[in-house]
Amino acid sequence: MRNFLAFIQRFRVILFFALLQGIVLSIYFTFSTFPRSQYLTTASSVSGTIMTVRNDITKHFRLSDSNKKLQFENQWLRERLKENKLSELAENGFDSTIIKTDKEHYTQHFEYIPGTVINSTFTKRNNYFTLNIGTAQGVKRGMGVISDKGVIGVVHNSSEHFSVVKSCLAKEINIAVVIENSGEPGFLKWDGHNARKGNMTGVSNDREIKLWSKIVTRGSAGIFPRGLSVGKVAKTQAIEGQPLWDVTVQYSENYRSVQCVYVINNLLKKEQHELELDVPPQPTEDE
Amino acid sequence: MNRIFRQVALFIFFIFAQVLVLNNVELGGGTQIMIYPLFVLLLPVGINIFLLLSLSFLLGLSIDAMSNTYGLHASALIVVAFLRPIIFRFTAPRDGYEQVSATNIHVMGISWTLRTLGLLLLIHHFWFFLLELFKLDEILYLIQKTMLSLPMSFVICLLLQYLFIKKPKAS
Repeated sequence: MRNFLAFIQRFRVILFFALLQGIVLSIYFTFSTFPRSQYLTTASSVSGTIMTVRNDITKHFRLSDSNKKLQFENQWLRERLKENKLSELAENGFDSTIIKTDKEHYTQHFEYIPGTVINSTFTKRNNYFTLNIGTAQGVKRGMGVISDKGVIGVVHNSSEHFSVVKSCLAKEINIAVVIENSGEPGFLKWDGHNARKGNMTGVSNDREIKLWSKIVTRGSAGIFPRGLSVGKVAKTQAIEGQPLWDVTVQYSENYRSVQCVYVINNLLKKEQHELELDVPPQPTEDE
Repeated sequence: MNRIFRQVALFIFFIFAQVLVLNNVELGGGTQIMIYPLFVLLLPVGINIFLLLSLSFLLGLSIDAMSNTYGLHASALIVVAFLRPIIFRFTAPRDGYEQVSATNIHVMGISWTLRTLGLLLLIHHFWFFLLELFKLDEILYLIQKTMLSLPMSFVICLLLQYLFIKKPKAS
């Protein structure tokens, strides 16, 4: 016992250092994959409030830019309205721009919750956005986030009035994406170097991939609807020793200047999840 | 009382400088400017090591909470605080630290600051990027990040000292 006390006495500085370092490292390695609380993120009320004050000052710098973006989005949406389409008995007979609306009733599949980015980083290895909406507005962990130009990320953590979004500029973002023309599926990753470029993994190299073909969300996990723009194929390179392409993705959104975003709420996610649970587990080949 | 107030003000200044300004500076090539190790350098020489470690733990976690890094800044700063006495002994001036009132650039001179602050920042940046990347095959990128960020952080630390710390009157 006396030896033990002497030991502590002798190495007390190192022990205290190890204790603090242990706390910090355990926070780092557990919270970045699964956040247990919102207190150490910008979703907490103190830092959220500070970010809101900062955003109240700086948001006006990009005002005309974001107005223009919203106007373009409105124009695009307005053109898709039923009122602006000719009826099916148009003069030219069959026309590709006609939308058939023979089924009167639709079930709402996705809901969009509007929000504003109040804080963002893009120089770190894992970058997060802070939004000014939280559980009070219906935001939950795991929901998808988009802007008018494309996919932003997935909600990582949310408090009552703020939420933290893991952006496409993070290591383990893993959004299911697909190349629009050929239908090749894969997963989105980020290597940490360039904020305008990401990677798509899992694309087998037995098929030709056209440069600058569009990459869109696959919609398989129920986080995003199918067909949301992610980016374009900027470069393909064979991975040595594997029958796969290393596809470089040029993001369609400039993550540095994102302001207005929408959080996607999939109303039928539970149904899809329950249905997928019924599938019997596949026997693995290694055993 | 006045001295404690000064340290608290410095503490808050470093949080806000990092979170509101420097986190949004992007220079390319993975450069990230971090100046808060200067807080550890500027604390009094005779400070209790436990207080020093606790303060750096708090400062690091506060910065982490506002930049979503989950303990990265805190970990690097604790390492710096732990090594500070060793580095100070290593770079001690000829007469030791007994006559020294503060460890800023006006009192200690450029060459001491260059060595001590340089070492502190180098250890801090290297540890920070090592934990952040956490991959051995990206060691070249790690060195690139450290070597690009270090001069920028260092220059800003020097400028801050020249601009905001008053020169003591020559006695």
